[in-house]
Amino acid sequence: MKKTQIVLLLVIAIMIGALLVTLEDASVYATFEIAEKQKPETVTVVAKVDLNNPIKFDPKTTLLTFKAIDKDGESRSVVYNQPKPMDFERSEEITLTGHSTDINFVATEILMKCPSKYTDDEGLDTTGIYSINS
Amino acid sequence: MDYIGEHSLISFLGRASVALSFAGAVATVFFYSLYFFRSKNKKTNDHRGIKSAGRLSFAFHSIGVFGTIAILFTALFNHWFEFDYVWRHSSLEMPMKYIASCFWEGQEGSFLLWTTWHVILGWVLVGTAKKWEFGTLMLLAMVQVFLTSMLLGIYIGDLKIGSSPFILIRELPENIGLPWTELRDYLIRLPSLRNGQGLNPLLQNYWMVIHPPTLFLGFASVTIPFLFALTGILEKKYYEWVIPALPWTFFGISILGTGVLMGGAWAYEALSFGGFWAWDPVENSSLVPWLTLVAAGHLMMIVKHKKSAPATALFLTILSFLLVLYSTFLTRSGILGETSVHAFVDLGLNGQLIAFLGFFSIGSIFIYLFHWKKYPKSPSEEAFSSREFWMFIGSMTLLISAAQITFSTSIPVLNKFIGPEGLLPILGNSMAPPADAAKHFNSLQIPLALVITSLLAIGPFLRWKETPSALFKRILPSFIITILISALCVWGLKLYNPLYAALLFVSIFGVFSNADYWIRIVRGRWTSSGMALAHLGFSMVLIGALISNGKKEAISTNATYIHEDFPSNENILLPLNDTVSMYPYYVSWRNERTEGHNRVFDVDFYETKESSTWNDFKRPELKPSFTLNPFIQINDRMGNVREPSTKHFWNRDVYTYISYADLRPLNEKNGDWSDPMEAVLESGEEVFLFNEYLLYCDTLNVQNASINQNSGEIEHLDLELELILKSMNGDETDLTLPYHLDGNEAHTSEVELEEKGLKFRFDGVATAEGKFNITAWEKNNGDPPFVLLQAFIFPYINLLWLGSILMGIGTLLAVWKRVYRAINENRK
Repeated sequence: MKKTQIVLLLVIAIMIGALLVTLEDASVYATFEIAEKQKPETVTVVAKVDLNNPIKFDPKTTLLTFKAIDKDGESRSVVYNQPKPMDFERSEEITLTGHSTDINFVATEILMKCPSKYTDDEGLDTTGIYSINS
Repeated sequence: MDYIGEHSLISFLGRASVALSFAGAVATVFFYSLYFFRSKNKKTNDHRGIKSAGRLSFAFHSIGVFGTIAILFTALFNHWFEFDYVWRHSSLEMPMKYIASCFWEGQEGSFLLWTTWHVILGWVLVGTAKKWEFGTLMLLAMVQVFLTSMLLGIYIGDLKIGSSPFILIRELPENIGLPWTELRDYLIRLPSLRNGQGLNPLLQNYWMVIHPPTLFLGFASVTIPFLFALTGILEKKYYEWVIPALPWTFFGISILGTGVLMGGAWAYEALSFGGFWAWDPVENSSLVPWLTLVAAGHLMMIVKHKKSAPATALFLTILSFLLVLYSTFLTRSGILGETSVHAFVDLGLNGQLIAFLGFFSIGSIFIYLFHWKKYPKSPSEEAFSSREFWMFIGSMTLLISAAQITFSTSIPVLNKFIGPEGLLPILGNSMAPPADAAKHFNSLQIPLALVITSLLAIGPFLRWKETPSALFKRILPSFIITILISALCVWGLKLYNPLYAALLFVSIFGVFSNADYWIRIVRGRWTSSGMALAHLGFSMVLIGALISNGKKEAISTNATYIHEDFPSNENILLPLNDTVSMYPYYVSWRNERTEGHNRVFDVDFYETKESSTWNDFKRPELKPSFTLNPFIQINDRMGNVREPSTKHFWNRDVYTYISYADLRPLNEKNGDWSDPMEAVLESGEEVFLFNEYLLYCDTLNVQNASINQNSGEIEHLDLELELILKSMNGDETDLTLPYHLDGNEAHTSEVELEEKGLKFRFDGVATAEGKFNITAWEKNNGDPPFVLLQAFIFPYINLLWLGSILMGIGTLLAVWKRVYRAINENRK
């Protein structure tokens, strides 16, 4: 076998290895229930902020506590040790990365999806048509 | 019907230009492809006729493309808001210097930008490619057929082909048939058409004026080597294609690399994720074609110098172009959705994007494999000590690196195939990207970077075919210097992570060995300096990235202990006008103001006088050092954005941003009342207030109402809204809020509950039937206004920028070397 062929085989082997490591590193989109089953593993939960419950932010400790409702409708209290994201209440959907504990969900990262961010589609406001007296 | 003031003719001309460019591209493909059919049938050397016809069609295509640009710019420049594209992406308030950014903010504009670069590079090919013109232009025109079709905006049945930048708002599917579109004077009557939505303020940054054109020129120049590779296969010129393809490859490496790094510079300056690289899918997908293009360029050099097997060089050149298409698909189809912070608009062109990607992937891989048996094999085996062997290893390492990044970035695509809702539901739950992206990529990419960098350090000293054993003597001086310097750096920077220290060592070796090569062997001759400078620049980029990220230091630490689950926090609380210690500085938030979209915060930094020591119980004497102005951009379209402010020193950057602030004006924050809370309630509903109360909406009483008999309008109205405020301990307080309407004038008054420290106001009935708007305030507890600040020190980040400039210049010199030779050969 030629050297280059050996190298190519090695390349393929390393690529498969890298693929496996990547799959190993990947987290899963989960619900709070799955997160609790798999605790303390880090998972990603897509949820909504529950606006009917208090959203507490203490600037002295930069601790944000709120309730979130996942896609199954399960509600959990979430703690996030970072400043409250801008327009947090306005968010349509939030992506929480973190893990469950016995009492709550500890988020390490929150990505927000704002209503206008992705679709940008407010459309034209035609409520104010001027009536011109003719 | 003629609409008053509407530029329907311009809209027609715009669409006609797009149609011309599309038709021109189709005709170019047709005429240039005739060459292949004719040359197979009979041995004729006279292809002048089809060449002229091909060039003429390409000229029509170019006129169409430039016409499209000119018309779109005219519409943007004149603020013709009846055009959907103009209305969506620009406004009257926007500074004119950002008009170019409006042009490519939308997908249609950025497709147009890409198309334009292809046209310009296409004419360079017409002028220089000679006998390669038939194949390369035929293929280029095929790419253009797909690109211009994205701008067509026509419907065949229900199938939408392209999205036209010249569509008028009244022609949008959602508006067709609405009564206002029947008004001749709708432009005068609709106030919302007087001004556009405006350019996303985040893009109103000078980097966004130059980054997109550079990146797309980079993408366009990845296409050209692909054209030569495929033409090489079709015309069985398995070696010759690398000669014209090489300068284009280095041009692509230079421009695409610069474009990607410019994106990083923009992120560092305008976004607050704290760095220039976040392994975001969008960044990754433009880095990957660069990596494979670098590998392809090196493999082409092996083919050129050694006449070795061209199969891998062909494969990587084709792959680079396919990866550009894949990157286009990823970023524009909206498939990345939840995984990226970048904003995408799904134009409903996914089918077309898949067709574009599919046509070229299947087509070129089929052609590549179909000719597989005919590719020449290497005449001899590469020696272990040869330059080509190690260049090959380096290129393969780059390929592995590209493949790994692609795997991770493609997780959302993988979900579409094997996720729970995919074609083949293997996975129970959708996969999410790695939770800690930086850790994931670093652990896999740093070992690969180690291999690549050590090869580019030693590589230049290796000879083609076989290297004499004197090699070690030649690299010994730079090796010794490297050991000394990197030991000093590791010790001085306390960079004890073994992987980081190893990467620092090889990168420093890359700098010194290439500098040595440049001085002693090239002796500074410009035409031959390309390799040494590019390698040196790349090593320097790595050193800069490694030190600035590995030794990135959060100086804004908050020492408050909260819970073992939380690491000490990187946010410091700055009360107004207080001076707070933030080692090695003292900081003070003095003022804030509004500038355009931005709420700007003035943060002064102080240093301690040298005579006073830090540990004294007395406050050290302070002297002002510098002021930073981080700001929060009030952005209605994307949500408010925290923008950083950075003080650049030669050896470090002090990078800050406001991580939390109350956005009311300063005087209001200083006042007696808190941030107002707005609630919309209907009878029987309740809402949480200030974490302590429940506000229950009881009934609305109409006290006095009188109606004007003539007009039927309300003349006079007194309303009283009855509410119940419930405390956590069960207390209930009744509350009555008045609302008084006199003709068109509304009078409301605030009602204060003194013992609770709250006040309320009834703002009227909300548009949604039967709901009431209520505003509530809480008494301030006497704390001064504050902001939360994050501050980082990025040491030696300037090495990164310096390195990228050197790399850009080095690769351009590599282009020049080949162009220079070609010109000289022509003269002979």
